[in-house]
Amino acid sequence: MKLKLLTLLAGAVLVSVAPTAVLAAGKTIAVSWKTFQEERWKTDEAAIKAVVEAAGDTYLSTDAQGSAQKQAADIESLISQKPDVILVVAFDSDAILPSIQKINDAGIKSIAYDVQFEDPNALYITFDNVGVGRIMAQEMLKVKPEGRYAFIKGDKGDPNATFLFQGMMEVLKADIDGGKIQNVCETFTDGWKPDNAQKNMEQCLTSTNNGVDAVLSENDGMASGVVAALDAQGLAGTVPVTGQDGDLAAINRVALGTQLVSVWKNSVDLGTVAAKAALALADGVDPTTIEGVSKFNGGKNGVEMNAILLAPTPITKDNIQVAIDAGHITKEAACAGVAAGSVAACN
Amino acid sequence: MTMQNAAGGPALSNENFVRRFVRAAEIDTRMIGMLVALLVIWVGFDVISGFLRPGGSGVFGGSFLTSRNLWILLVQTSTIAVMTTGMVLVIVLRQIDLSVGSMLSVVAVATGVLQVFYLGPLLGVGHPAIWIIAVVFAIALGAAIGLFNGALIAYGQIPSFIVTLGGLIAYSGGAFLIASGVTVAPMDKTFKLIGGNGPLASIGPNWSWALGAAGCVVIILAIIAGRRQRIRFKFAPKPIWAEILSAVVGCAAVLGTTAVVNSYLWPAKVAERFALENNIPIPPGVEDRAGLAICMAGDKVVTCAEGLSFQTGYPIPVLITLAVGILMTFLARRTRFGRYVFATGGNPEAAELAGVNTKRLTVMVFTLMGALVGVSAVIASARLDAATTALGTLNELYVIAAAVIGGTSLAGGVGTIYGAIVGALLMQSLQSGMALLNVDSAYTNIVVGIVLVLAVFVDQAYRRRVK
Repeated sequence: MKLKLLTLLAGAVLVSVAPTAVLAAGKTIAVSWKTFQEERWKTDEAAIKAVVEAAGDTYLSTDAQGSAQKQAADIESLISQKPDVILVVAFDSDAILPSIQKINDAGIKSIAYDVQFEDPNALYITFDNVGVGRIMAQEMLKVKPEGRYAFIKGDKGDPNATFLFQGMMEVLKADIDGGKIQNVCETFTDGWKPDNAQKNMEQCLTSTNNGVDAVLSENDGMASGVVAALDAQGLAGTVPVTGQDGDLAAINRVALGTQLVSVWKNSVDLGTVAAKAALALADGVDPTTIEGVSKFNGGKNGVEMNAILLAPTPITKDNIQVAIDAGHITKEAACAGVAAGSVAACN
Repeated sequence: MTMQNAAGGPALSNENFVRRFVRAAEIDTRMIGMLVALLVIWVGFDVISGFLRPGGSGVFGGSFLTSRNLWILLVQTSTIAVMTTGMVLVIVLRQIDLSVGSMLSVVAVATGVLQVFYLGPLLGVGHPAIWIIAVVFAIALGAAIGLFNGALIAYGQIPSFIVTLGGLIAYSGGAFLIASGVTVAPMDKTFKLIGGNGPLASIGPNWSWALGAAGCVVIILAIIAGRRQRIRFKFAPKPIWAEILSAVVGCAAVLGTTAVVNSYLWPAKVAERFALENNIPIPPGVEDRAGLAICMAGDKVVTCAEGLSFQTGYPIPVLITLAVGILMTFLARRTRFGRYVFATGGNPEAAELAGVNTKRLTVMVFTLMGALVGVSAVIASARLDAATTALGTLNELYVIAAAVIGGTSLAGGVGTIYGAIVGALLMQSLQSGMALLNVDSAYTNIVVGIVLVLAVFVDQAYRRRVK
C-alpha cells in the first residue's frame, strides 16, 4: 500500500514536470508495434511503459510480427478496448491508412511513432533524419574544415540514404562550391552492408591513391567496413569517419579514436517524449500546444502534420559518458582496448 | 570461343594450325576464353580509370592494373571463391544450395560471439589458442549445418531447392537471434590475419618466392608424372613441345603472380608504424620548399615511408583459397568420392544401379559445402574485423553465379573447380572495377547480371559446336 502510494507520488512528480500534462489517472495508452524482431523496439517499449505506468495509467500493446495484415487486425482489437490514444509503429506506411481512419472514426487520437503515415489528424514523433546528416557533416567540419571527402551512402532503395545525404550537403554545399572541400568518392552501398562498404572504400582509396581526408559514412555498420579498409592502409585513426545508430562496436571505435562520431538516436528519449505526448493528448490537450510540436510536410505526399522531431545525440570521444549513463552500453564494452588516460569516460 | 570460322569436318588433316595446336597441347579452350575475357576486363578498367583520373601507376596509366589493386582484388574474391568450389560439386550432383549466404551469417556471428564473449574473458584477450578454437568451431558448425541440409535432402527426400530455400530464410533468423542483431567486434588479433586485411596479413616476400618456386617445381613434377602415367598405360603422350610449353606457361603464371603480390609495397603509414614499433631506423627526412618532410633514396626524392620499402607477398586468404582449390580439384578428379559425384550427376539412376550409395554421397557433398562455408565465414569476419548478421547476405547468388560462369552445368555432371574460381575472380573484377570508376552500384548489378546470362549463352553455343 505504502509502495503503491509512493509510485503514485513519483508519477505525479514526473508528470507535473511535463508542462502541458494534467494529472488524471485512469487513461489507457495503446501501442501497435510493427515487430519485436529488431532489438531496439524493446527499449522503446520499456520507456513508454515506464512513463504511462508511473502516471498510474494503463499500457496496452500488440505486436504485428512484421505483417501489415496482422497490424490491421491488431488495431481493430485495440480500438475495441477503447483506449484514449493509439501509438502506431507502421509496418507499411500506406497500407496502414485505412486502420488509421478507423481510429479516427472511433474518436481515438493517434500518434505515428518513428515511422510516418500521412494522416493530418495524427501526431508524428520521430528523430530528425535530415538532421542526422547535418550533424555528421558539422562534426566532420570541426576536425576537417577542408580536404578531400568521401561519401559512403546507404542503400539506394532506402529514402533515408538520400535524406542523410541531403542533410550533409546542406552543411557542406558552400565549402564544396568554394573549393575548400572536394568530393572524391561517392557511392551507394547495397543493403547498407558493412562488407560492401569495405570494398567500396578500398576501391576509393586505390583510385585516389589514399587521397582521402575524411569519410562520411551514413551508419555505424558501414563505418566498421570503412575503418577496416582504412586500417589496411594504416590510416585508421588519422582519417575521421562518421556513423549513426550508436552501435556498441561503434561507440568502442569512437573511444579508440578510429571513428569520429556515432550519431545516436536514443530510443529512451523517443519513447519518453511520445508517452508524455500521448498522456497529454488523452487529456484533450491541443496537439499544437505540446512542447516541441511543429508543422511537418516532408512526407511522400506532402500532407501537413503536427510533428515532434527530436534532435539526435552525437557521441564523440568527449561525451561517451552520456551513452554509458543512459544504460545503452557498459563502460567495459565502450572502453575495451582503450589506452589509459586517452578518453575521459574510460578513466 | 577462340574458334575460327572453320566449318570443316572432323578429319584431322582439314584442321588449321590453331586447331591442331589446341588439340595437341590439350588446351581447355573454354578456360582460355574466360582468361581472355578477364584480361579484356582488366585492361578495359585500367584504360578507363586512367582516362577518368590520369596519373595512376597502372600498366595503361589507370589504377586497376596496379599491384595494389590486384592484391586487394584477390583478397576480395576469396570468400566467394572458397564457397564456389563446394558449389561446383553440389551443382554437378544436380542439387543446389541456396542457404550458403545465411549459413555464413550464422557461422560468422556464432564464431564471433564465441571468441569475443566467451573465449576472450575465459582465456584472456589475445590468447594464442583463441583463433585455433574459433576456426575449428566455425568449420565444424558449418559442416554440421551442411550435414543437416544433406540429411533432409537425401533421407527426408525433400528437394534441395526447398530445403536450402528454407535454410536461406531460417538461418538468417538464427544469425540474428544469436547476438540479437548486435555487431560483434573486434576479432582476435591472430584470427584477424586470416582475413588478409592489410599487408601485415600476408606471408612476406621471402616465403612468397619460396612458395612460388615450390609451385613451379610441383607443376614440372606433375607434368613429368603425368607423361610417365600415359606411357605406362599406353596412352598417346602429348608432344614434347606441348609439355614444355605447359611447364613454361604454368611456371610463368605462378612466378608472375608472386612478382605482382610482392611488388605491392606496404602503405606508408603501416610501414612507418611498423618501423617505430620495431626500432627500424626511418631514413632521415629533409624538408622541401613547401615544408613537407621528404626523404632521399640515393638521389631520388621519395616520400619518407617509401624509403622503408617492405614487400607484401601473398595474402593469407588467397593462400587458403589456393589450398582449398587444389584440395577440391584433387577430391573431384583423383578420388573415388569425386568420380562418384560426377557419375551420379551425369546419370543418377545408372550410378545407383552401379552400386553408388547416392544418399550418403549427397550428405557428404552438402557437409563438405557446409565446411567450406565455415572457412569463408572465418575469412569474411576476419577481414571485416567484425561479425554482423549482414555478412553473407546474397552471397548464395554470387557463389552460384561464379560456378555457372565457370562452366558448371545446372543439368549436372559437368564442372571444374578452377573454372569456378576464375568465374568468381571475373565477377569480383567487374564489381571492383566499377567501384573504382565510381559507378553507381545499380549499373554494376545490371552488368553482372548480363555477364552471367551471356556466359551461359556462349557456353551453350560452344558446347553445341563441339558436339
